[in-house]
Amino acid sequence: MQPLQKSYLALSDISKSFVGIPVLRNVNFDVRSGEVHALLGENGAGKSTLIKIMSGLFTPDSGIISVETKETRFTSTADAMRRGITTVYQELLLFPELSVAENILLGHSPRHAWGGIDWRGVHARARDLLDQLDSTDLDVSIKVRELSVAQRQRVEIAKALSYNARVLIMDEPTASLAQGDVRRLMSIVKNLRSRGVGIIYVSHRMPEIFALADRVTVLRDGQIIGTEPAHAVNEARLVTMMVGRPIETVFPKSEPIFGETTLEVHNLSSGSLVKDVSFSLRRGEILGVAGLVGSGRTELAHALFGLAPATAGTIDLKGTRVTIRTPSQARDLGIAYVPEDRGLQGLIKSMSVRENLSMAAFERNSKGIFIRFSYEKKRARNLIRRFNIKAKAGPNQPVGRLSGGNQQKVVLAKWLETNPEVLILDEPTRGIDVGAKAEIHRMIDELAKKGMSIILISSELPEVLGMSDRVLIMNNGRCTAIIDRENATPERIGAAMTVSQKAEAA
Amino acid sequence: MTATTDDTQAAPLPGKGNAFIRYAYRSYGQELTILCAILIMFVSVGLYSPRFLSFDNLNSIFAGNAYIAVAAIGMSMLIITGQIDVSVGALIGVLATISGTLAVSGYPVWLAWLMPVVIGMAINAVVGILVAYGRIPSIIATLGMLSVLKGGLVSVTGGAWISNLPPDFLLAQRVMLGVPFPILAMIVLTVFASVWLKYSALGRSLYAIGGNREAALAAGIRIQRRIVMVFTIHGAFAGLATILFATQLQVIQSTVPPNLELTIITAAVIGGVSVLGGTGTVIGSTLAAILFATIGSALIFTNVSAYWLRAVIGLLILITVLADMMRRRKVWG
Amino acid sequence: MASFAHIRSLTRHETILAMVVVFALVALSAQSDRFFTVANLLNQGRLMTEVGLVAVAMTFVIASGGIDLSVGSIMGLTAILIGVFWHNFGISLPVAAALAVGVGTLGGFVNGLIIARCGVPPLIATLGTLALYRGLAEGISQARSVGGYPDWFYLLGQGQINGLPTQLLVLFIFAITATIILSCTVWGRTVYAVGSNEIAARFSGLSVERSKLAIYTASGFAAAIAGVIFVSRVSTTRSDMGTGLELDAITAVVLGGTSIFGGKGTIVGTILGLILIQSLKNGLSLAGVRGDGTIVVIGAVLIVTILLSNIFSRDGFPEH
Repeated sequence: MQPLQKSYLALSDISKSFVGIPVLRNVNFDVRSGEVHALLGENGAGKSTLIKIMSGLFTPDSGIISVETKETRFTSTADAMRRGITTVYQELLLFPELSVAENILLGHSPRHAWGGIDWRGVHARARDLLDQLDSTDLDVSIKVRELSVAQRQRVEIAKALSYNARVLIMDEPTASLAQGDVRRLMSIVKNLRSRGVGIIYVSHRMPEIFALADRVTVLRDGQIIGTEPAHAVNEARLVTMMVGRPIETVFPKSEPIFGETTLEVHNLSSGSLVKDVSFSLRRGEILGVAGLVGSGRTELAHALFGLAPATAGTIDLKGTRVTIRTPSQARDLGIAYVPEDRGLQGLIKSMSVRENLSMAAFERNSKGIFIRFSYEKKRARNLIRRFNIKAKAGPNQPVGRLSGGNQQKVVLAKWLETNPEVLILDEPTRGIDVGAKAEIHRMIDELAKKGMSIILISSELPEVLGMSDRVLIMNNGRCTAIIDRENATPERIGAAMTVSQKAEAA
Repeated sequence: MTATTDDTQAAPLPGKGNAFIRYAYRSYGQELTILCAILIMFVSVGLYSPRFLSFDNLNSIFAGNAYIAVAAIGMSMLIITGQIDVSVGALIGVLATISGTLAVSGYPVWLAWLMPVVIGMAINAVVGILVAYGRIPSIIATLGMLSVLKGGLVSVTGGAWISNLPPDFLLAQRVMLGVPFPILAMIVLTVFASVWLKYSALGRSLYAIGGNREAALAAGIRIQRRIVMVFTIHGAFAGLATILFATQLQVIQSTVPPNLELTIITAAVIGGVSVLGGTGTVIGSTLAAILFATIGSALIFTNVSAYWLRAVIGLLILITVLADMMRRRKVWG
Repeated sequence: MASFAHIRSLTRHETILAMVVVFALVALSAQSDRFFTVANLLNQGRLMTEVGLVAVAMTFVIASGGIDLSVGSIMGLTAILIGVFWHNFGISLPVAAALAVGVGTLGGFVNGLIIARCGVPPLIATLGTLALYRGLAEGISQARSVGGYPDWFYLLGQGQINGLPTQLLVLFIFAITATIILSCTVWGRTVYAVGSNEIAARFSGLSVERSKLAIYTASGFAAAIAGVIFVSRVSTTRSDMGTGLELDAITAVVLGGTSIFGGKGTIVGTILGLILIQSLKNGLSLAGVRGDGTIVVIGAVLIVTILLSNIFSRDGFPEH
């Protein structure tokens, strides 16, 4: 630690709970001017809550926030921004129908003497801010909806700079960027640091963290595990801090017994994010799918499940050529898909556990068009027991009142009710606690042992490495490699995930 | 009134006419399309029946429908913010009756002109509060308001005619600076509203709220207050429209003008205000109001029954909305 | 526990509503001795049938998270077409009525296509077709009315079976069928699922598009049947028939506890809402309030109901 350097923004003893569940406990965190402070933690560790407290969106239950050593409280995001604390969220908060310049300067545009917005001034100022970010190529007069994700992100950063940012919080800024854009972003970050901006850099990506960060803080289960100078730690140490134990022991993976081929995909294409993907899958096999966000992982699942039907290529199920145009067709063919966004895509939160459990398998719980209510309830009780779903009020409890892990078990149980041959899991453990995570990993292993074919999509490399028999790597819509378990190392997968595709860049 | 005079953005490279047209089309495509449609109608119907272009007919098209354009200005602001009001026709009916009653009861005419604006603002402020703070969707709140206003009006007045209006009350029949007053009012209000929407922070915040509510919240915009504000402004424009509407004839029928709300909403939507919120201009809605009036008049001049007018408007709404959906889908991929 | 509270709150809404209805009936019969007579009540049942049919179908529409503003126009178009097919084209009356109902149903189907296929928000789509269908009715009829139907045709709207107005039986059958579909079948469950979270419904393999098509088509069908009954009741067809009917129907549905945001609602509630509105209208007019004055009450009731339900349902689950 360098006690001489003063923190611009400091949090001490911050705690925050939601509906009685503590999310942050006695957190101490600070950022100095002109440093990059990386914040690491698994999903659900409390990072986003911490960010929202620093950006003025949430108020902490207890603890002190100080700006330039003066104790303070933020009344709103606008208040935090006025004091130089700005945030670039992962889901970029822009107005698609407004111009780039206006998005950057909305709310504090230059004015004419008569009080009207000085549009020439707005454009000039926006131009200037973007130029400072080496983005001379970005036209300030076009609408934001016409921009790529990387360009939108630069608009967000320019917006932050327009508030004279002293602290810039960046939430997973490279999660959906291609490799070239990542390099560009990193040089922007370095440039900002040299101008004295303090940057809080939230990411899981080790190479970026070691290339950029001056200090690293690890958050786990709502508590700070440690803050270290970046040069004093290595990757293994950080991972251990994040997970809480060495990763090798975490995954229950049995020796696989493969059966015949169930799914064979040839040159599958769909939209702009699935191009010429081919692979096959056997009974009892777990195929991991790795790739950056935006690499086409989820889109591949959507193509297989009929949500975004394939535009080219073939799919064979147990030797029969099939066309899948809707999710109901996919389900009837024996494909199940546990989607990545549990709350939005997986569940109907206002409905009961019982209703959610029979949502995908009505034919089992109905006679003709009529629902067999008592059977449905019995079946739901059964599943609650089998999957160890903690629903205090039983089958009629609204799903929205369950914890994340239990919600995920409901989604999984719902789809296993359809007796699928092929089970696609998209981020099955995102945002759930360690205990439920282990349970779900055990279930996945058991299902594979019973002969199910499983596709496991995950952005957590340890999970992919720990659970899969083979790993398929998606990069910019293409499958760049399929690697066997024994050859799968973080380095090889990482390389395949990030190798730039020159042909595609054009 | 054409949309090409715009000093707000860095002018395209001088001498490059193509770039200028592309720019104009990109920024004001909808407005230019409507303008072309109006011109085509004038030329083609004028060739068929030259009387269509007579001063009297043009005056009845422009001056007789200016109140629709004025009301559509407020409606556009509302829709830009992501709200809607289906009670505006009933509101105008009520306000016209109040205005006319004041005028024949011996109150000064300025009061008869002022009260519709004040009462319109007050009523719509209440609606805005119900929507913003009572969390009632605007369609439901205004449907309810529609029946309150309509029922209230008819049960109080019985649909009677108000006649013997004092001559100096009839503002819409006057000519100012050589221009019929309604046309002048329409132009002034359109320009005023355009400037406000384009140059004021409040005006811009409407686009922000309609375009991305979550981002507007994160940008520190007080959404609830803005919604009450935009409903109140819309009420003011309804009041101004009422003045033009109530003072054009010697009599006022104290009923709700049929389908008026539909015509006003349609003018806003066809003028380029996206039904999903966040885009649009009031120049477009004013042009669209003129387009309807032209179509209505053209039906008469081409001996097509005016009873088809509403079907035409319905078709126009659907086509415009579908085109808007297609455009967005293409852009968002 | 929570789940029972959830179900209880639903039943509670209907129980409260039922009590309000009883209270209103008592209060209104105290106002006028002509109110609580068999003849008057049956006549009121006759009058509320058209709105009732539309409201029953509208319950599905609103529970699925949509809205249909075009029902009044579909009703008017159907009415006009009966007259045109029969009077102008010389088609026999039963066939003419069937054809007109077919066109009305097609109108609902077109709504469904625009909403489900093209993704246009239901509010705007049906606002457009509200204008279009009414405009077609006006254009086709040129505002001329057709009357002079054969006597047997009035059975539906003016006749009775075993002392009950014919159309009340139609409404009864309609409501029972709708109750069974909404509460006991896979389709009904799909309606609630689509209304609660359309994306999750799609990801669960439910055919969201098809069910929306079916819902709006059914709404068009109900409005068309209401149109036939209307013509039969008033003995004539005019192009402005059913104007403003959508407001009455939506009010009944929302008053009956169906959430305007979708995901919950029952037919029983809708019928109770309908009875309350009709008795208020009738009672007020018997008490001397002019006909149009009663719609003030409907509008106010609509706003207050939603306001109260918003205030009391603070712990709902936001789906997004």
